[in-house]
Amino acid sequence: MKARAFSYVRSETLADAYAAFAQAGDASYISGGQSLVPALALRLQAPELLVDLGAVAEMHGVTLDGDMLRIGGLTRHAQMLTEPLIARHAPLLAQAAPHVAHPAIRNRGTLGGSVALADPASEFPAMMLAMDARMEIFGAAGTRLVPADAYFQDLYQTALEPGEILVALHVPSVGPRHRWAFDELTRRRGDYAMVGAGLQGLFEEDGRIEHIRIAFFSVAATPVRVKSVEAALAGRKIDAALIAHVQGLIDAELDPAEDEHLPPAMRLHLARVLLGRLLQTVSSPT
Amino acid sequence: MNFSIDGHAFSAEPHPGQCLRTFLRERGDFGVKKGCDQGDCGACTVWVDGAPIHSCLMPAFRAADRKVTTIQGLASGDALHPVQQAFLDAQAFQCGYCSAGMIMTIAALDETQRADLPRHLKGNLCRCTGYAAIHDAIDGVVNVSDDIAGNACGASLPNPFGPGIVTGHARYTMDLDVAGLTHLKVLRAPHAHARIRSIDKAPALAVPGVLAVFTWEDVPRRLYSTATHEDHLVDPDDTYMLDDVVRFVGQRVAAVVGESEAAAEAGCRALTVEYEVLPAVFDPELAMAPQAPVLHHKGGEAHGNVFAEIRGEVGSIAEGFAEADAIHERTYTTSRVQHVHLETHGSIAWKSDDGRIHVRTSSQAPFIAHEKLCHLFGFIPADLHVFTERVGGGFGGKQEMLTEDLCVLALLKLGRPVKWEYTREEQFIGASTRHQMTTRVKLGAKADGTLTAIEIRVVSNTGAYGGHGSETLAASLSSPMSAYRCANKKGEGFVVYTNMVPGGGFRGYGASQSTFAIECAMDDLAKLLGIDPFTLRRRNMVTADDWIEAIWSGVSDVEFGSYGLDQCMDLVEEALATGPRRPVPAGEHWAEGTGIALAMLESGPPTEHRSGAVMELLPDGRYHLAVGSTEMGNGSVTSHRQLAASVLGARAQDIDIINADTDKAPFDTGTFASTGTVVAGQAVMLTATALRQNILSYVARITATKPDDWALEADAVVGGNARISLVELHAKGTAAGHRFLAKRKAYLSPRTVAFNVQGIRLAVHRITGDIEILQSVHAADIGRLINPMQCRGQINGSIAMGLGWALTEHMDYDDTGHLKNAALRNYRIPSFADVPRTQILFADTYDTIGPLGAKAQGECAINPIAPAISNALFDATGVRFASLPFTPDRIFDQLQPRP
Repeated sequence: MKARAFSYVRSETLADAYAAFAQAGDASYISGGQSLVPALALRLQAPELLVDLGAVAEMHGVTLDGDMLRIGGLTRHAQMLTEPLIARHAPLLAQAAPHVAHPAIRNRGTLGGSVALADPASEFPAMMLAMDARMEIFGAAGTRLVPADAYFQDLYQTALEPGEILVALHVPSVGPRHRWAFDELTRRRGDYAMVGAGLQGLFEEDGRIEHIRIAFFSVAATPVRVKSVEAALAGRKIDAALIAHVQGLIDAELDPAEDEHLPPAMRLHLARVLLGRLLQTVSSPT
Repeated sequence: MNFSIDGHAFSAEPHPGQCLRTFLRERGDFGVKKGCDQGDCGACTVWVDGAPIHSCLMPAFRAADRKVTTIQGLASGDALHPVQQAFLDAQAFQCGYCSAGMIMTIAALDETQRADLPRHLKGNLCRCTGYAAIHDAIDGVVNVSDDIAGNACGASLPNPFGPGIVTGHARYTMDLDVAGLTHLKVLRAPHAHARIRSIDKAPALAVPGVLAVFTWEDVPRRLYSTATHEDHLVDPDDTYMLDDVVRFVGQRVAAVVGESEAAAEAGCRALTVEYEVLPAVFDPELAMAPQAPVLHHKGGEAHGNVFAEIRGEVGSIAEGFAEADAIHERTYTTSRVQHVHLETHGSIAWKSDDGRIHVRTSSQAPFIAHEKLCHLFGFIPADLHVFTERVGGGFGGKQEMLTEDLCVLALLKLGRPVKWEYTREEQFIGASTRHQMTTRVKLGAKADGTLTAIEIRVVSNTGAYGGHGSETLAASLSSPMSAYRCANKKGEGFVVYTNMVPGGGFRGYGASQSTFAIECAMDDLAKLLGIDPFTLRRRNMVTADDWIEAIWSGVSDVEFGSYGLDQCMDLVEEALATGPRRPVPAGEHWAEGTGIALAMLESGPPTEHRSGAVMELLPDGRYHLAVGSTEMGNGSVTSHRQLAASVLGARAQDIDIINADTDKAPFDTGTFASTGTVVAGQAVMLTATALRQNILSYVARITATKPDDWALEADAVVGGNARISLVELHAKGTAAGHRFLAKRKAYLSPRTVAFNVQGIRLAVHRITGDIEILQSVHAADIGRLINPMQCRGQINGSIAMGLGWALTEHMDYDDTGHLKNAALRNYRIPSFADVPRTQILFADTYDTIGPLGAKAQGECAINPIAPAISNALFDATGVRFASLPFTPDRIFDQLQPRP
């Protein structure tokens, strides 16, 4: 199918992009375009105007400011694997990146685009939750920071108001006492996850967990944390009994939708398996 | 905007909304291929500033001021890029349609990425090769051998179109620029069963760029079948080009022709159609019930929805079961799957100045399409020309006429060239599929395993139209039932219309489905009797001394031109015991098992099949061969050159070839049912032999010697010390009025049989349902190998397709008959990571029926794959997985401890 014949504007500043979007009435922003272009081709979306964010300077680059890593929204998936600052300060992203689509997509797709779309089956949005990231959002009132916990609201619904732009992701840098892990279970190798999860925690010297955040994807309309599991892990040292205990909490935390080929019972089962594997991974230092 | 493409700088304004892929192709950069237009297949991969991207996912304007490199710009002048050369050396392609994208991806890999190919090749799908030859190319393996005069047969010679394929210059069906081209699109039915009350064309005709709309009222009201066979009566004439009743979601409703694809699509969206929705039935058992809605009122209503019914019994199964010490009975079901040839269906039709109509199409049977078009439109055959260029895969899916008819209709009405290219979604909802079959198997045996009775009942869901329905059913009751020796056999089968997308021909053709059932049942019986699966099979499998008999006592034309099933069994048993394998993955909960399955397939169809060839000695001492059969990646142009070269004492490269063209080649029924070698190859051999005779007789005549005194060599005829170059001979002969030409036809009868045995060792994870193939072993008895590399290629491709059928592929419908996964991202054909290396072994046989000892081999290798996997799962877990596919949810469902 052919996309609607949209017009196109390339903005160099956030304000210009915002204005162009507002003026059009029926516009879409394009970042990497790897989800948008197929949606346009299938006419799931058919905007009149595409506002290209590619030249907006504030959305480029990865910088460290104190304990906070600022990752420009236009940073490509492929850069999660090559950018030294990400490897050092936000290693969970580097760990998740090979699971995201495939190289040709990763060469174009952007972190900001993925988090703005908030596909519940995507890896990176869930990692924002696990890393306790803040979203830098540009809108009518200028720029604001929204914590990941308040950002994901419902299926493809985020704190982004119409016309607002996800400028950058602010990720707390990991220190020597952090541990993290990522994994997903797929039908076919490299496929969308049936269930996936990432976790990141601060550990005491003796191996006890000070606090931990665990985020699942492909289990609900949004990426979700399993807070009762996190609470149960706080102050504890990971062992087989603790893993079994928190696996038992999953059923009450997650409520996957009915799916003919992936019954909720199986999804929950896989989530328990995955949780066990991830906790096993971080039971010794990363 | 300024663009730089393959080093050419220019200014252009892309259309609003245009992606880079169509922008490139519009400029004539046809090396860039369309496979899905959704970033799933990788066929359109190009580099932007040196990084591979999917050109279908990039708006064209974003490539402005960037450096774009396509496959056509990868080589430096005449020097191929090392990856292009590696693809030639390994012959890492069959149809070649994925090669452009595959090469662009691989050429950009660094050393680290090359070390993790499963992950880095995940965005490039190949349906032909099973990725083995691609892996070879990356490893620098040279699979081709030297082309030595007189020794062409048995050598792994390369595809003559290889250089074009790896450089992007090979031209596939749609790779053509036609002046004044118009574009056709169809509106497809949203209902599984409905009568069309009215179609308002006006809103569509009002769309700018829309030229015409055609509905059922505009087409010849002539029934036909889209299935292509030599004898059209084997398929029911139950189809109109456009009908006033739609019988499946996705059936054509109306055709819109526009100045652009976008205009034609907009026209389709604008059409207003009023439907009277009718009751629909999807399950063939329900469709057989007396109160079921009847799909067709075309003379066969008395049989309800049962379009064909086939029965037969030899001996007496009642007596056979009475003699049995043990009886096993169970139902096995196979799933509906799509061929997913990477080149979608499509054709282009135009009229030449002399008024003749030309149709360039992606077909396995252009000659039958030619006949059908003559039937539909009342053409004089000589006024119509149907042909193929490179065809991007078929696998049985292109044994249909799906696009040619409407293109010709629009051409006749508008007088302008017309193109219609399927989208990937249309492949899933509006092409053909493998028939879903449910097979009840009942086996009776003595305690020592000797079979006393075999009974099967097959119900085939042919969907809304019956093309290939009766032939696939007959195939399901035929060779798989002949594979075992038993005095008492009975089979019955039903082909049932339902409101589903139609079934069609698909590699393995009905026999795949019943082989799955019977081979699973044999292992179930082995378990019941406590006998090893090899032993049980050896005790009962057909031997060279047996009369080949399925369920009919009448005589057939099937004979053993050779027999190597016993060798295949020995080879697989030995390799499973000693061959290379991967260890069971680390961690708990893995269960390991091995499984085998055998398959027997007749070489060629029971329906009529014929093929012709013409050969000529050229003035430069080379030869020209014209053969009617289609090359779609099956390798026939390569093997045909080898057969001819071997007869003529020449090198394969001395033979120019043209194929599948109703103007330029003699009639051929079509490349299907594994006939490329055994029928078309036979025609080539007969023709080459006649031309050799022609040449030698002429030499004898002018030298007053005997033809036997002379022999053909690469460039000369040689007799004793005398040597006459072919160039000289040609000049002399033609000057004297002699013609160095020959034409012969081949007809398929008798038919020989081929055998395949698959061994699988796997590990299944009881907790996640993950299946890891640890070892895959395949033995084939396909007679003499005309081209060993290609034979391995066909087998590797069949195995990959079998793995997809067994593990990941499935067409998933809602309860109103809508397909839920009409896209490659959720239909899931195997990717590089999903296909293990298979150890391929060959029985040492030489067939007395097939050409130069060869037998058919394009299809049969798929048949034992799925049952071998089910048998290995059974061995590992004790649970019989009797329904395809074995997806994680089904494994989970069966393996979870019950509370």
